[in-house]
Amino acid sequence: MGRYGRYIPWIILGCTILLFPLRTSNYYLQIACLAGIYIILIIGYDFILGWAGLLSLSHAAFYGIGAYTSALLSVNFSIPFWVTLPAAAIVAGLFGLVVGFPTLRLRGHYLALGTLAFGEIVVLVLMRWRAVTRGVDGVTGIVPASFGLFVFDNNKSYYYLLIFFILILAIFARRIHQSRFGRALIAIRTAEVTAEVSGIDTNRIKLLAFILSAVYAGIAGSLYAYLFRYISPETFGLHQSITILTMLLIGGGGSIGGSVLGAILLSFLPEWLRFLKDYYLLLYGVGIVLMMAFMPDGVIGLAKKIISKIKFRLPLRRNV
Amino acid sequence: MQQLTQLIVNGLTMGCIYALIALGFVLIYRTVGVINFAQGELVMLAAYFGVTAISIGLSLIWAYVFVIAAMAIFGYLFQWMIYYPLRGKPFITIIISTIGVSIILQNLARIIWGPAPLMFPSFFSLKPLNIGGVLVQPQNIFVFVVTVVLFSLVYLLLSKTMIGHKMQAVAQDPETAKLMGIKVDQVVAGVFVLNSILAGAAGLLLAPIFLVTLDMGSSVLMKSFSASIIGGFGSVPGAIVGGLFLGVVEILGARYISSHFKDGIAFVVLLLVLLIIPKGLFGERVNERS
Repeated sequence: MGRYGRYIPWIILGCTILLFPLRTSNYYLQIACLAGIYIILIIGYDFILGWAGLLSLSHAAFYGIGAYTSALLSVNFSIPFWVTLPAAAIVAGLFGLVVGFPTLRLRGHYLALGTLAFGEIVVLVLMRWRAVTRGVDGVTGIVPASFGLFVFDNNKSYYYLLIFFILILAIFARRIHQSRFGRALIAIRTAEVTAEVSGIDTNRIKLLAFILSAVYAGIAGSLYAYLFRYISPETFGLHQSITILTMLLIGGGGSIGGSVLGAILLSFLPEWLRFLKDYYLLLYGVGIVLMMAFMPDGVIGLAKKIISKIKFRLPLRRNV
Repeated sequence: MQQLTQLIVNGLTMGCIYALIALGFVLIYRTVGVINFAQGELVMLAAYFGVTAISIGLSLIWAYVFVIAAMAIFGYLFQWMIYYPLRGKPFITIIISTIGVSIILQNLARIIWGPAPLMFPSFFSLKPLNIGGVLVQPQNIFVFVVTVVLFSLVYLLLSKTMIGHKMQAVAQDPETAKLMGIKVDQVVAGVFVLNSILAGAAGLLLAPIFLVTLDMGSSVLMKSFSASIIGGFGSVPGAIVGGLFLGVVEILGARYISSHFKDGIAFVVLLLVLLIIPKGLFGERVNERS
């Protein structure tokens, strides 16, 4: 291994991801696309749970708001993809501001219950306000996403479009994590009082993190709408918020690697465990309980622990 | 006027159920500082236990006894298997764990009892009684009476008995309680058992009004969350007043505003309360840095 040896695993991983669509069925490709959308959702959710240490249970609602904003703009007014995507992000972010403002000033469990209530309201409105949202029938006939001459009307091209978005959003998230704002979030998570004494405006920072996570969810929702070109309310309920939560927990909060890993694992797991049928969801619940008891930092947390143990041993042996 | 009274009576019935469930988890919250998301599934489980008790040939009254006993045991197992190993961990960890338990219980029930709704009998006929021009279902009166009795018992338990005083002490300050020689773990177990019995009672009262379904508990639980925040989170009288208030507001809202959005009313009220009077009617001090 030469000077660039440490890049080899990453190059192999990159090539696998890029070449994946060429060697797989359309069905698996669609699951991969959905996993990609989940990656964006989870990276956004990580701002709240992993970084700020706050429990929100309405992430799916922002996801839904993004999806419906894009879908309705596209279907009703034939507005193109490159306008509806930012529109979805902005609308979701505004809702994030409205929900976050009253609940974030209070103790942690108020946020959990307040966001829970908000999520229920959103699903109810999507289902019952037929005149605008088209009710339980959902929205159909969304025009394929296009950008100039490129039309992303099949799973293969959409897969690459998603990779583009994931890269941009992941890099942006990483920049934020390493910024002053990211350090403020860590401070709030570990010791809120100390953070406030050190001059951090904790309410403002928490609200910003909440809005940021809603914006990510809005973008993910828009991308979801253009992937299936059909959306319906039940996709965006509490169970979806819990799925998002579980994905982050399994991957491990506080890192982009954890978000990616959790999203991919839990997107493909139902396929691999299809033979379990009814018992899958039971196992899913058992998994959550066991994770909380034995691996609260997720797969990434466990891996880090193992690696740090190995690293700790190596130099000792070398000295002997 | 008569119609209004009618609506209020019906609203109070649902309010009783909300209040029972809210009371249970407020007790848990006060004692261990955790929100129990599996509470709704306890309600559901009690109803299914009841169905099973009837199907093996127990009379209704023995079915009630069986269910309450089963729920008491279940409450103990719940805290022993789920809460006890996680005690002292951050509250998010425990909350998420209870979400896991609720998924387990719902799917376990699906596997055991199947997805189809089941029936659970009532002590009374469906023929409404006419009280001063207001038609009331006998089951509704029963719900009201049982709730009042249970609340009185819980009140007596908390204020007059030794175990109740211990619960209050642990809720106020577990460290000091421990120094005073109170066995905190036992008291916590007792609170979980009490909570499970209250949820069980709610399940038994609810089952004849609606059908026994897999999601009967989770939908009521959401309303009970709202009820407890309206009343003031962590407050016992708040849970009761909030529950009754919400039951009435919900049914009046459904009648006079929109029946389509009936299930959203509780949540809109919840968000309004958080925005305007976050500590609710009888609230705790909400600011963490107090």
